[in-house]
Amino acid sequence: MALRLDGSAKETLERGRNRLVMAGVIFAFCFVVLAGRLVGLAISGIGDEDVMASEADSVPPVAISESKRAEIRDRNGVLLATTLTTASLFAEPKNVINPKELAAKLTTVLDDMSEAAILSKLASARNFVWLKRNLTPTQQYQVNALGIPGLHFREEEKRFYPMGALVSHAMGFTDVDNQGIAGVEKYFDAQLSGSKEKSAQDLTLSLDVRIQHALRDELSRHMSIFRAIGAAGMVMDVKTGEILGMVSLPDFDPNRPGDFSGDAKFNRISLGVYEMGSTFKTFTTAMALDMGAVELQGGYDATEPIRKAGFRIRDDHPKKRWLSVPEIYMYSSNIGAAKMADDVGPKNHKAFLAKLGLLDKPSLEIPEVGAPILPPRWNSLETMTISFGHGLSVSPLQLSTGIAAIVNGGNYINPTMIRRNEEKMTPVRQVISAKTSDVMRRLMRLVVEKGTGGKAAATGYLVGGKTGTAEKAVGGRYKRDALISSFVSAFPMNDPRYVVFAMLDEPKGNAQTHGFRSAGWTAAPIIGRLISRIGPILAIEPVEEESEAVQKAMFIPINSREKKLASF
Amino acid sequence: MKLNLTIISLVLVAAVSFGLYQLSYEVQGLEKNLKSLNQNISENKETIRILKAEWTYQNRPDVLQSLASKYLPLLLIAPYQVASVGEVPYPQIDPEQYTVPIPRHNPRRDYTPATPLPRGPVQLATFTHTGGVQ
Repeated sequence: MALRLDGSAKETLERGRNRLVMAGVIFAFCFVVLAGRLVGLAISGIGDEDVMASEADSVPPVAISESKRAEIRDRNGVLLATTLTTASLFAEPKNVINPKELAAKLTTVLDDMSEAAILSKLASARNFVWLKRNLTPTQQYQVNALGIPGLHFREEEKRFYPMGALVSHAMGFTDVDNQGIAGVEKYFDAQLSGSKEKSAQDLTLSLDVRIQHALRDELSRHMSIFRAIGAAGMVMDVKTGEILGMVSLPDFDPNRPGDFSGDAKFNRISLGVYEMGSTFKTFTTAMALDMGAVELQGGYDATEPIRKAGFRIRDDHPKKRWLSVPEIYMYSSNIGAAKMADDVGPKNHKAFLAKLGLLDKPSLEIPEVGAPILPPRWNSLETMTISFGHGLSVSPLQLSTGIAAIVNGGNYINPTMIRRNEEKMTPVRQVISAKTSDVMRRLMRLVVEKGTGGKAAATGYLVGGKTGTAEKAVGGRYKRDALISSFVSAFPMNDPRYVVFAMLDEPKGNAQTHGFRSAGWTAAPIIGRLISRIGPILAIEPVEEESEAVQKAMFIPINSREKKLASF
Repeated sequence: MKLNLTIISLVLVAAVSFGLYQLSYEVQGLEKNLKSLNQNISENKETIRILKAEWTYQNRPDVLQSLASKYLPLLLIAPYQVASVGEVPYPQIDPEQYTVPIPRHNPRRDYTPATPLPRGPVQLATFTHTGGVQ
């Protein structure tokens, strides 16, 4: 059989067979590799499952709704802001068979849309028209139930504020793309919206909706009683600096911020700066006592108004006699306060107010924070006017923070909108001594007990405070008929826990106040009502005000030189 | 002999491939199941979000206040109405109390609710993409 070939022919055949074997080996190897891979795939899958599984496991429970903007809650966990997936209704006009019928049917479900409006939208030449954004689930269901072709839904995210106007200014609002553009929504925008590296984190504010509501309720009621153009109020913890309530009226609904004017969005508490009037006498008195410029037993002659550089400083409630320090404070004597501040001197006065944080822009976790307006010069005359709250404009936030420092034992604490832990608190700086702070508490109590702030009394809660009535400065002049009446208070005065501030913008007197519109008649009643409302919520135990122990704790010698037998 | 070997190997191949594909299909089915479960969870989460928002909205303080003033005889708490637990007097011990016979067995032993409780795990309401609540 075998052919015997010789020479070149045999050689060629040999080579050919070798090549064939080589090719066969290579192919066989490839097929073995393929087969192996095939078996491997059939057994273990593509090999990505492990990665997919670990991705699904690493992000907490199920990684689906975490891309949403995080929630904001109050100190007790009540929801203040959340993000909901809502359906938005759009139409494809080309696919709508009978626009008239559609419009008629749709108006039965969406009652805020008119038939004509729907028809005009459907008449457009585009093949995509929004009919209504952000439907409620019920509306969506009803529209679906109509079963009209050419109508479709698209899912959108909408920021929702269940409390509406209640927490408007502190909360702020977001734009259509869910970006915070005011309030804590803006300040904590990065935390709330999250990023690729960090997931979105919920925010717990220091606010308490119950207190916020009581504050807003009382302010809006008194605002309408006294026909004021605006009102503002806040409640602050003196030990932690937490703001429990912050209301500025008129306010707005953050669910639809576009419908409100700029005035409604103006935060009178933190952004508005005002000449606060007599409430500043608290700082003047504390400063004079702390620096030893005058003793508690000392006093000043307030018989004659002070004339200085063409100005006349006079009293609103003139006593025309020598007044002791407690009397100056409780009768709110401008002359006495001016003389007291003059004894301290402009330099020390300025340094003291700076320590109380009244001369710098305060720090708070919202972007709407106003800087105080300082006088261009600060000499003897300015010191005198600032001593009773004219010539220096500060925000109510700064005033309340300063008062908190005066009553809490002299520690200045930065205000905050975020819930704080009392144990971790570190006071920023000591402003006055604990002894002076104790005297100031008694003086503030005296104002409510016997002085100008009698209407701020809330039985059992030992309210102490100071009235402040200031004429509004408009265009460099004081307007006689426009007042800012405010009242700053703290309670309970034997161990102050909360500072409460209320302010009315341009209140008008009525028959009940005998035509008076000063703070003692207009702003003080708000404090009285408010504290008896929020006292139980804040778990403050009422005390027997007439009891000997309380009277002793709140005792302060007045040292009046008033003739006991009036000359009648 | 050679024929036997061939038959055995063919049967083996058939058996192994059948087993393999069975496993593969099972895995696919489970994965599908997991996906639908995950979607269900996310839908339920969304529903919870909506219900929470609704709950908070219905419990706004001003709504509660108007309801309370309409239906409840509650006014502001006066200071004399507040007391600590220590001030609450101990209740008077009534000797009659000890004559009440102790029941022989649990009084609710034979109790059956009028409408029977649903069997199986509790189903959450589900907000579907087609709208409405199931």
